[in-house]
Amino acid sequence: MAGLFGPASVFAQKGGAFPLTHYRLKNGLNVVLSEDFSLPVVSVAVAYGAGSILEPQGKTGMSSMMENLMFSGSANVPPRQHFNYINRVGGTFNALVSEDRTVFYETVPSNRLSLLLWLESDRMRSLEIGAKAFEDARSALLGDLQDRRANDPYFESSRKFDELLYGDFAHSHSLLGTEADVRSLTIEDLRSFYAANYGPNNAVLCITGSFDKLRTRELVSQYFESLPRGRDPSPPAGPLALARKRVLQSFVEPAATSPAFYLGYRLVAPRSSDFYTLTILDYILFRGRSSKAARRLLNPDAKIAYRLSGGIERRRDRSVYKIFVLANNEVMIEYCQTALFSEFDRLKSSPLREDELNRYKAMFKQDYLSRLSTTVDRALYLGDYFLTLGGFQEFGLDLEKYMSVTAEDVVGIVARYLTPDNSIILDVRTK
Amino acid sequence: MRTRAFSLGLGLAAVLAAIPLAGQQERFRKTPPAPESLQLELGLPPLSPPAVLSNGLKVSVAYREGTGFMGIELLIYAGESASPAGAPGLATFVASLLSQGTQVRSAAELEEVVESLGGTFFVNVNQDYIRVSLHVLEENLDKALDFLAQILLQPQFLDRNIADIRRMISYDLQDKEQSPEFAAKRQLYRLLLKGHPYERLAFSRDFLRPWTVREVQDFFDRFYRPNNAHLILTGNVNLSQATRKISHVLNTWAPGDIALPPIQPVRPPEKERICLVDLPQSREACYVFSGTAFPRPSTPDRAALMVLNQVLGGSLGSRLLMNLRESKEYANYAFSELEIYREGGLLFVRARVLPEKVVPALLEIQKEIRSLAGANPALAGEIEPAKTYLLGNFPIGLERFEQFTARMADIIGLGAGEELWNGYYAQVMLVDPDRVLKAAQAFLQRPFVTVIAGDRASLADRLSVLDAYDIFDAKGQFIATYAKDKKGALHEAGGMRPEFQRGPGQK
Repeated sequence: MAGLFGPASVFAQKGGAFPLTHYRLKNGLNVVLSEDFSLPVVSVAVAYGAGSILEPQGKTGMSSMMENLMFSGSANVPPRQHFNYINRVGGTFNALVSEDRTVFYETVPSNRLSLLLWLESDRMRSLEIGAKAFEDARSALLGDLQDRRANDPYFESSRKFDELLYGDFAHSHSLLGTEADVRSLTIEDLRSFYAANYGPNNAVLCITGSFDKLRTRELVSQYFESLPRGRDPSPPAGPLALARKRVLQSFVEPAATSPAFYLGYRLVAPRSSDFYTLTILDYILFRGRSSKAARRLLNPDAKIAYRLSGGIERRRDRSVYKIFVLANNEVMIEYCQTALFSEFDRLKSSPLREDELNRYKAMFKQDYLSRLSTTVDRALYLGDYFLTLGGFQEFGLDLEKYMSVTAEDVVGIVARYLTPDNSIILDVRTK
Repeated sequence: MRTRAFSLGLGLAAVLAAIPLAGQQERFRKTPPAPESLQLELGLPPLSPPAVLSNGLKVSVAYREGTGFMGIELLIYAGESASPAGAPGLATFVASLLSQGTQVRSAAELEEVVESLGGTFFVNVNQDYIRVSLHVLEENLDKALDFLAQILLQPQFLDRNIADIRRMISYDLQDKEQSPEFAAKRQLYRLLLKGHPYERLAFSRDFLRPWTVREVQDFFDRFYRPNNAHLILTGNVNLSQATRKISHVLNTWAPGDIALPPIQPVRPPEKERICLVDLPQSREACYVFSGTAFPRPSTPDRAALMVLNQVLGGSLGSRLLMNLRESKEYANYAFSELEIYREGGLLFVRARVLPEKVVPALLEIQKEIRSLAGANPALAGEIEPAKTYLLGNFPIGLERFEQFTARMADIIGLGAGEELWNGYYAQVMLVDPDRVLKAAQAFLQRPFVTVIAGDRASLADRLSVLDAYDIFDAKGQFIATYAKDKKGALHEAGGMRPEFQRGPGQK
């Protein structure tokens, strides 16, 4: 059979609660199939390994514009009709773009799978970036930038903090780009960016739900096999080494009315061995109202912060903790920092009780399973998993790794990563 | 259309597909592929009759495996229609207090328990029932049932908690009242259901009384009884397992003497009416809500109404959007919605229109509504796509666990059954142009009430072409009536017109 379908490294395995088959077409397109016959629906996610990380200096904003332009029509699909085709059959669709990926995803009744493959293959092979669509996408992005500036008085400081935390231009520059760059982009820039990064060999096609596997492989082959291979994607830069010296800087936000600070730590590559404990630690420290940090800073009886947000964040091959705290005045800012550091110290000196750790793990498991609850959630998860690890060798062991984190693991991780030397702080002052 | 040259793939597709020549593409790419046959059933177990425990509690299960979650939905038949007449909000109040603590656990401790179950807990109040929802990791079902039992059997209502909830509901309403859409819809709802117990759901901050512990406790004692409730377990469980587990924790829940006054069917409005909700902050946009009310339709009528709604304004290709936004450019959007309750239903249009086009938009909305019942009935070419949408979207709307449990609660809460479950497909398939026309004639030829939400000062000139309209403030308080005199001039005409001072059917 493998001969019929190309040189694929075809294998199937039981992955966690759902089956999974992964193979690769000759043009480099990775295909993941996962059947689920619970309901007569099917989802498709096409995840491209294309995000702002791939934008060179002076050309920022291209990945955000591309997310928009991918709906601007292709050889056989008129502009902005992608959503009409899906809406007419009762389906749903959406797209997302991040620093390291752009994903298009849809769900339709199971008898319309071929419609999705037709739509997705058409824009993968023949996207038409016309002058009007280009200008519309540019205006939309400039509008987003304007809105963001108007609504987020901490926008500039967040950019500055990302520079400190991620260390290089590729990882740290904003997904939205800068106004100057966006204004100077040309239609040819976008066409080149598309040609280089939105080809089959930089994508993974995930199909989940109720479908016949053999028939689906035929359809995938029909629609995608003849698509030409694009340029080979650049290899990841690799994780950053932990910081060796505490970084402390300040930044003035003229429009902000309250002082704030960012606190960050460089961590390991996503899904490397420490990552599982770091994720559970994220729940212990930062997730929800009962997290250690929220209880300490936002406790209604002794509230010392207005707002606490953040947690673990991933960008391709790097992960970090990134926390933002807003407080009433400079004195409270200091209190908040001291309180956070003392929580970290406490975690090092007295391991969590078992029932406490189990509560955080239950919260994590709830989120984890919720992220897999629909066919489209699962398609997104599979795409994310593949783009992060480049394969499914350890697929299905994920949840177990998270759930087997112990209190001692947490102590070790806090001691290793949440150290003063590895901390990066940006104090944000009002004018 | 531009075509491009592509190298041939070597797989099966190359054999199956027409071979593209240089400068051409494969033939199959030119048009969207034809659909395969649609699966006309959910493939889920049918709804079976509920089991009834010795204390009168009804128990149902909705089987769903592979999610990792169990859902507990407790329906208490004491929605806002059970709140005292003239003092709405009590049902919402009592439901909100359930998470504020029990005799043995504080609110914070309850929250921790829910977290430790990997769960979520919320209550939702509608016209007909209160829905207490607890979704947990499936291995924690027994603990979750213990948690539910504690809330029901050991509730604690404290003055402090009542004050907190009052503040919380008040802030929430204040926040929502900033939205012109919320203000418009609430006002429409009030006008259409005036005098009916369902009107109580549309309460505003002014109606929030400082309830006493006694009043709260009395409401709880009266309505939160097993013989006034239905418990639905959703997940990998069968009815006998569910009955045994629930009986184990809730067998001491004592039944009560539930004497609910019967709720009369909703009556349609007797006259057309136009109202303006004055929102001085809303100068840039203007919202039009126009709807009618009716007694609960039969299941076949409901299916025909769903298709009718789809043709009128249920999706992006519907008549309203095509006309008001795409053709006339009067509106940013224009949709219609259908809501069905135990004793009635509403069909209404909601549109965001350009303030300078408010009257033409209103006229177009009325024209679109009326024409479906006469001059321009829905054609087969509109009805079939509408059915395709409804049939295709139905299982997608059940995928998320929360959606699945909510749908189940809705079916049982409405006293419906299999006809809205696996039977949904057959109901929609049976709808034809004749049925849609009959539904349009039965439901769309009734008087419609229209609410315009926007800045009165900006809209006054534009509304001067109307014969009469009533003005309300953002909270829904009547301000004035404007009516034309014999010379055609519009004047403030004092109090509310007598015909609108009572609800439909009231003498």
